Amino acid sequence: MRALWAVYKRELGLFFRSTIAYAVAFALLGFMGLLVSSFIAQIVEANQSGFTQRFFTADDLIAAYMNYFTFLMVLFGPLLTMRLLAEESREGTLEVLMTLPLPDWMFVVGKWLAAWTVYTFILALTLIYVVLAAALGVPSGGLVLAIYLGAFLYGGAVLAVAMIWSALTEDQLVAAFLGAASILVLTLGSVIAEALGNPTEPGFANIIRELSLATHYNDTMLSGLVQLHDVIYFIMVTVVALFLTTLIVGTRRWRAA
Amino acid sequence: MIEVEQLVKRYGDVAAVNGISFTAEPGQITGFLGPNGAGKTTTMRVLTGFTPPTSGRAVVAGFDVFEKSMQVRRQVGYLPENVPLYRDMSARGYLMYLAEIRGVDNRRQRADAVLERVGLTSRANSAIRTLSKGMRQRVGLAAALLHNPSVLILDEPTIGLDPFQVLELRDLVRELRHDHTVLFSTHILSEAQRVCDKVVIINQGEIIAQGTPTDLRSTLETGARVLVRVEGDASSLVQKLASLPDVSSAHLEAEGLIVTPASPDIDPRTSIAQAVIDAGLGLQEIRPLAVDLEDIFIELTRRASRQPAADAAAEAAAEAAAIQTSSEEAQA
Repeated sequence: MRALWAVYKRELGLFFRSTIAYAVAFALLGFMGLLVSSFIAQIVEANQSGFTQRFFTADDLIAAYMNYFTFLMVLFGPLLTMRLLAEESREGTLEVLMTLPLPDWMFVVGKWLAAWTVYTFILALTLIYVVLAAALGVPSGGLVLAIYLGAFLYGGAVLAVAMIWSALTEDQLVAAFLGAASILVLTLGSVIAEALGNPTEPGFANIIRELSLATHYNDTMLSGLVQLHDVIYFIMVTVVALFLTTLIVGTRRWRAA
Repeated sequence: MIEVEQLVKRYGDVAAVNGISFTAEPGQITGFLGPNGAGKTTTMRVLTGFTPPTSGRAVVAGFDVFEKSMQVRRQVGYLPENVPLYRDMSARGYLMYLAEIRGVDNRRQRADAVLERVGLTSRANSAIRTLSKGMRQRVGLAAALLHNPSVLILDEPTIGLDPFQVLELRDLVRELRHDHTVLFSTHILSEAQRVCDKVVIINQGEIIAQGTPTDLRSTLETGARVLVRVEGDASSLVQKLASLPDVSSAHLEAEGLIVTPASPDIDPRTSIAQAVIDAGLGLQEIRPLAVDLEDIFIELTRRASRQPAADAAAEAAAEAAAIQTSSEEAQA
């Protein structure tokens, strides 16, 4: 565990000394700022027009922008993880790590934890919009908690999946691109499932729907519904992805050069 | 202490290491000598717990590399080829990071102690990317020494250094053998001769000879052709030498007389010297033609190969050229 902590501290330090964490935070928060201000304007206009079926509240605003925030992880998640193992592999330092007395999973998990910490830091910065939303009325505490707990777990899973590609290639750009592609598929799983047939009936479409990130976040937690099986889903995706990453890193031991 | 028994490492159908056995004793520098692609790095990767062997056994500091990988890694200091380092870190920061992973106590003191050992105290706070190649090599060596390992495995530590840095590094490695079992790989033959107490010569995944540099030399000197230089008329001596019982043939070349012994286990020098003196000529020089490891290596490779003699000679010449090129690369 001491070794894991050492790897975690180094990676986290590296994030804050490199530009990537700032670039992701800047781009993401910049975009979210525009989005939130336009949502506020729309909500105020709709509420004043009197034509809406119901009155829009702060809760609607929070759910709306977090829907985008998690979707944008398709792009920003891989940017945070692309370096983690690809660079070690290219620089040859992976050989140093793999001949130190620590099991492979430890540095994999340490690196992932560092990326997750950066993600959580950026996620925490979006709490500023909760404060802004209060202008439309007091947000419901339970809903905010559900949405942010969900987003926290969602990020961990996305980063773990994106990290698999960083273990597979030495090229950071390739890792980022393939990471984005795989997360897009995972995110759009529920949409694909609907196209395939009735997703509520048992069968192939249902399996795809259940594997989708959106099914377990956007359809449930985003409306304040915290279910144990959704939480377990995110933890499972994370654990399986980290396990796969560890296995892939381990294949270096069996390959030439 | 390193013990390797019938070690095989295959990558698919290719045997990078094919049944090698050797030991490296504490207090000695064991040289691992061979051309590029001979299997040196692969063997070292097995010994450091990076890659598991296909078959055979390797025991490092009393632990089997396959079954007790973590214990082996604790006991081994490894300097990989090309010295991978975190370029963004300072020399001291890098060492303290490794010390934390390894669970070394008093990290700061330990890092400073090894930096002093390799003579880098003045650059302790410099980012590694700003250090010269020779300094980086020393950071890598400091990292290998950090946890005071009983076994040091250094993969081509002098490659890419300038001649002065090479000398410094060799001196450092010479000092280290007092406290560690050192395995040192090189493709530069004169280096193994100068640095190592014992040399293991490997080619195409197989050991073709091992022993002290002196032993290897005397092995080869027996049965080797002898160069004789005399004061006076050498041509008169050709017949006389050729008729000696120890000698199969003798001929005159620009350099002097080249004498081939009657059989590979005969050293004809004593009888040649006697014959020269009996002829009343002055003996200026008498020496075997194979005098350094370069010749030994070429000769052993030639003996190991099963090709006809003519091909072997051409091959030896090609190898000599290749070795020349690679030494030049190393110097450049």
